[in-house]
Amino acid sequence: MADVPQNGGYMIAAYIVTPVILVGYLVGLWLRVKKAGGS
Amino acid sequence: MAVARRGLVLSVLAMLALSGVYVLALSHTPIEARQGLAQKIFYLHVPAAWSALLAFSLVGICGALYLWLHDPRLDRFGAASAEVGVAFGAVMLTTGPIWAKPIWGTWWTWDARLTLTLFLFFLFVGYLALRAALHDPGERARFSAVVGILGLLLVPFIHLSVYLFRTLHPQPIVLKPSKPSLPPEMLRTLLVSFVVFTLLYLGLVMLRYGLALIEEAAEEARDG
Repeated sequence: MADVPQNGGYMIAAYIVTPVILVGYLVGLWLRVKKAGGS
Repeated sequence: MAVARRGLVLSVLAMLALSGVYVLALSHTPIEARQGLAQKIFYLHVPAAWSALLAFSLVGICGALYLWLHDPRLDRFGAASAEVGVAFGAVMLTTGPIWAKPIWGTWWTWDARLTLTLFLFFLFVGYLALRAALHDPGERARFSAVVGILGLLLVPFIHLSVYLFRTLHPQPIVLKPSKPSLPPEMLRTLLVSFVVFTLLYLGLVMLRYGLALIEEAAEEARDG
């Protein structure tokens, strides 16, 4: 176990950036629907 | 509006399911001995790449069908799939370097798989720019169908690039002729993530398709 690389920070960064992009896109799409006249 | 609303519901449900993938990946899969925790980026990077390539492939297929059938629904679907594909492409192209840095010692290398993938991403960013620049619907649909087909031609090269060229990128471990080479817990989590990312792709495409319908209706009301 001592030989396992300590690189959890990279995993945390990837696990944060993924929902930021996807939720950001989803919210942006929904705002465009509202702006275009969808209720 | 109904399509957009259904797309929103499916997307939100898929986002909630993504948190389930996080739980599976963080607590039900072993820590890989050589790569450490960074290996768990795999459960997001690979399904994001799958969704992006699925999206871009469908743009090309819809483009070819549009040139044959001239059905505007195919053009609308292609446009929706391209935009969603760019979002998944952004996930793939950010999680990839974040994974590469601790394992390869560099954020980026110009090997065949990475370079072709970046070209494909830029091609579809160009596809979206082309659509925004053209105002005649028929012309926009024809030109973007051709660009979509060109993008589709790149997809098999990207999949096979790890066999055709010397590359740092690992070879496929699931989508290959022989059995997947993964421990069962890892394979199960990866397959769940594939399903979740595919559902998210469907939800986002429905939402984007619904937006196109609303915009077209508003445009017709303005013109007519």
